[in-house]
Amino acid sequence: MTDELKFPDPLERRVPRDADALDERTARAIHEAYLPPLTHGEVENNYWSALEQRIMARVASANPAQREQGYWSVLNGWAQVGLVAAAALFAIGGLVSQRLGEPEEQVAYESVVPTSSTPEAVSAPAALLTASGSSAQRDAALQYVLSY
Amino acid sequence: MTGPPRINAEERDLVAAAQAGDREAFSGLVRLHQRRAYLVARAIVTVHEDAEDALQDGFVRAFQALDRFDPSQTFGAWLNRIVANAALDLTRRRKVRNTEELTDALRSPFRDPAENAELRERLAEALGKLPERARSVIVLHDVEGYTHVEIGEMLGIPGGTARSDLHHARQKLRELLKDLRG
Repeated sequence: MTDELKFPDPLERRVPRDADALDERTARAIHEAYLPPLTHGEVENNYWSALEQRIMARVASANPAQREQGYWSVLNGWAQVGLVAAAALFAIGGLVSQRLGEPEEQVAYESVVPTSSTPEAVSAPAALLTASGSSAQRDAALQYVLSY
Repeated sequence: MTGPPRINAEERDLVAAAQAGDREAFSGLVRLHQRRAYLVARAIVTVHEDAEDALQDGFVRAFQALDRFDPSQTFGAWLNRIVANAALDLTRRRKVRNTEELTDALRSPFRDPAENAELRERLAEALGKLPERARSVIVLHDVEGYTHVEIGEMLGIPGGTARSDLHHARQKLRELLKDLRG
């Protein structure tokens, strides 16, 4: 247990030092510079115990509900808002396009299917096709068109 | 880098208990790993107070993601990656620190009274002048003994980039300390 309280020594390396590495004295000096500064008279183990307590206090205050939700927890709230907004936009878009589309459809229909004046070349069959009300009339019109 | 990682029995038991919701067990993991994890954070953020913040953030994130940890891997390596991420997030949020600030951060009194005061001063100055990532890489590799691959995973860069950063950092550091050597 006492070994665990010892600060990791840079010489206890898992990876062998290569030929181009910093010399040992420099490496040790850098290691020393990166240790946490201790206040006057503070024992190193006390520092780590205090830090452990601060960490555990942070862990205890972490919302347990956040656990195992990862990055999606950030999106959860936004996803609901996004879905409602998308549905509203879709409905509004549908209404608007329906209203705007009506006159255009009418114009397009009238430009293809003549309602009052028709050119002479197609006036007779077309008039028969469009004006026929009953099936007998439609059959007659079809016979007329096929006979040409 | 071959074969499965070695996991000691105490750590495995602590991880299993912590995953089952035992906070005391998680506290045991904190006790086991906080020192190395602090050094990883410090290698990235340089300033002691920032390293403490990153360490605490890292442990909270690890606790929240504990269910996703694969017990066949080493907890320390997994934790170090999380702490390194927390440290990188912190450096992104902080304004860029100037050389003087970094030098001050590394000027803390040496624990070994026999250590040369001039070396301490010059090292602090030289490390402050290195680019952020190069400083992290040289400390993690030449001082703390992590491999290029491990460093790459911690810093989110390819292992080859860590290797080339290390090469440039060594060159620069040697140049800055050349009149000290001998």
